[in-house]
Amino acid sequence: MDTLGYLGQGFGVAMTPYNLITALVGTLIGTVVGLLPGLGPINGVALLIPVAFALGLPPESALILLAAVYLGCEYGGRISSILLNIPGEASTVMTTLDGYPMARQGLGGVALSLSAWSSFIGAFIATCGMVLFAPLLARWAIAFGPAEYFVLMVFAIVALGGMAGDRPLKTFIAALLGLFLSTLGIDANSGVYRFTFGSIHVADGIQFVVLVLGLFSVSEILLLLEKTHHGQAAVKATGRMLFNLREAAGVFTVNLRCGLLGFALGVLPGAGATLASAVAYMTEKKLAGAGGRFGQGDPRGLAAPETAIGASACGAMVPMLTLGVPGSGTTAVMIGALTLYNITPGPLLFQNQPEIVWGLIASLFIANLMLIVLNVPMIRLFTRILAVPNWLLVPLIAIITAIGVYAVHATTFDLFLMVGIGVFGYILRKLDFPLSPLLLGFILGGLMEQNLRRALSISNGELSILWSGPITLGTWALVALMLALPLVRIARRRAQGRRVPAEA
Amino acid sequence: MLFQRLFSAGWLIACLAFAAIAWGYHAPFSYEPVGPRAFPLLMLGLMAVALAWQLLRPVPLRQAADEPPLDRAALLKVAGCIGLLLVYAGLFEPLGFIASSWLLGAAMARLYGGRWRAALSCSALLSVGLYLLFDKALDVPLPLGILGFLEI
Repeated sequence: MDTLGYLGQGFGVAMTPYNLITALVGTLIGTVVGLLPGLGPINGVALLIPVAFALGLPPESALILLAAVYLGCEYGGRISSILLNIPGEASTVMTTLDGYPMARQGLGGVALSLSAWSSFIGAFIATCGMVLFAPLLARWAIAFGPAEYFVLMVFAIVALGGMAGDRPLKTFIAALLGLFLSTLGIDANSGVYRFTFGSIHVADGIQFVVLVLGLFSVSEILLLLEKTHHGQAAVKATGRMLFNLREAAGVFTVNLRCGLLGFALGVLPGAGATLASAVAYMTEKKLAGAGGRFGQGDPRGLAAPETAIGASACGAMVPMLTLGVPGSGTTAVMIGALTLYNITPGPLLFQNQPEIVWGLIASLFIANLMLIVLNVPMIRLFTRILAVPNWLLVPLIAIITAIGVYAVHATTFDLFLMVGIGVFGYILRKLDFPLSPLLLGFILGGLMEQNLRRALSISNGELSILWSGPITLGTWALVALMLALPLVRIARRRAQGRRVPAEA
Repeated sequence: MLFQRLFSAGWLIACLAFAAIAWGYHAPFSYEPVGPRAFPLLMLGLMAVALAWQLLRPVPLRQAADEPPLDRAALLKVAGCIGLLLVYAGLFEPLGFIASSWLLGAAMARLYGGRWRAALSCSALLSVGLYLLFDKALDVPLPLGILGFLEI
């Protein structure tokens, strides 16, 4: 029952007026950022890192701010997918399927509040799961040595490819590029400058904020240039704003099922919200059978992906907090933020700085509650933001991005680097390369190399240390499974293609 | 498809070039069995194998339904936008944040289809507002440049 005591302590941290205001501001900023096309949770969190640092926020408040922004962004993305039928990011594609039809039927407000409620339940289930499992996992993870960590990170990278679906090779290449980029700069162990070409600006490597903002913001700006639509008219959210009891009861079992599912998928590295929402929607559609009106505005079709997204967003924090291995692009950014504060997430964090971990967990509860409460009075304002035309929005994004980059080191070199990375990211996106594996690789790269070298130092260069323990062997087996997954999928698709050749 | 192959090929060559550079990294003093070049070489090697596979058997790109194919005009616009961002990066410190952001904001707003009047006035408001918000309220130092005389 230590856990409950710690949780109480966490609520003590999160309920201080200062942190409550931080969470409120974070959810508001996050919602607006998530609403805007071209800015998602990854950009939102990355943009706020330099600001949080410049403001001199203490680490737990900074982490609470970033987590609140994360949840707010997820919520904001929901608004644009329900009212505009434009999914802000990949994970909310499933939300549009039933959310937009509901809005068309004049149930926009109901759809929004119901989705917020579903997401809240999902996050609640996942946070409970986190409270139960995270300390266990952390206790177990203390036994991990460098070799175990190295293999675990190999698994995280491979899992990305295995889960990614139709383009495992490109995912793999992107992750490798990220891993490679993390080696730029001075090598901490030997003092050798790697790939700096004599420039002092890259002596301590590529700044992580520069990489994130270049890859995600600049490339998005260039992508927005191609799209022709100028601020689409949103479906007005009129009438009833809040769902009634009958509607909530109708989706409650869906919420429970999808919450558990989303949590389980969120904990796995690489799976994340996109997969969770897709699996949840498909499962519920199958379970509903002929009685459902999925695709025509069935509340269950809205609740299923939303619950799963909310649950997996919180679930992704479990590996981040307990192992220091991020499960998604956004948690990778948060790890980067923690490193700025000299905090290394991992099992020891639970022992040494419990106020950070439990304060974060408690503030996840609070931020979710705030989002529901905010939804009712603010929704009209939010829908008005959706009407901002692109020609005003894009310069705003560009300038704020530049500020974020400049705030890190105050050199214009970083601005040039950001543009360069952005152009490269744009080409990668045009060629169907996923970008978040690149980011994950970049975050994991340094840790991975350090652990590999440490492990081999322990064994005096003997490679067998990498597969000599039960944990490493088990993880290697999982790695092999993940590598086989895409092959199986391709084989099955080929077999299917042979059965129905006319369909192609 | 051709572009994809060319891109993969270029990337592969860059990969090999980096590997050649990495080969020369030696630690002058070493207390550990693994030096500074092993990990980058491993990553570059794996990446080269994957790229070679990609080069030989490229997967056709999926075209999103709502995405118009890239034509000359769009490419020109993209190139213009990249140019603007580079100029902005160059002028950021000499001209200062407010002036350079005003220029960038106005030019970009034009590029994305805004009217001259609206573009100029809105971006002026934007740049001053953002300066006040970040430099004064959020403690992120930004250069004033040619407007330096305003600093008290």
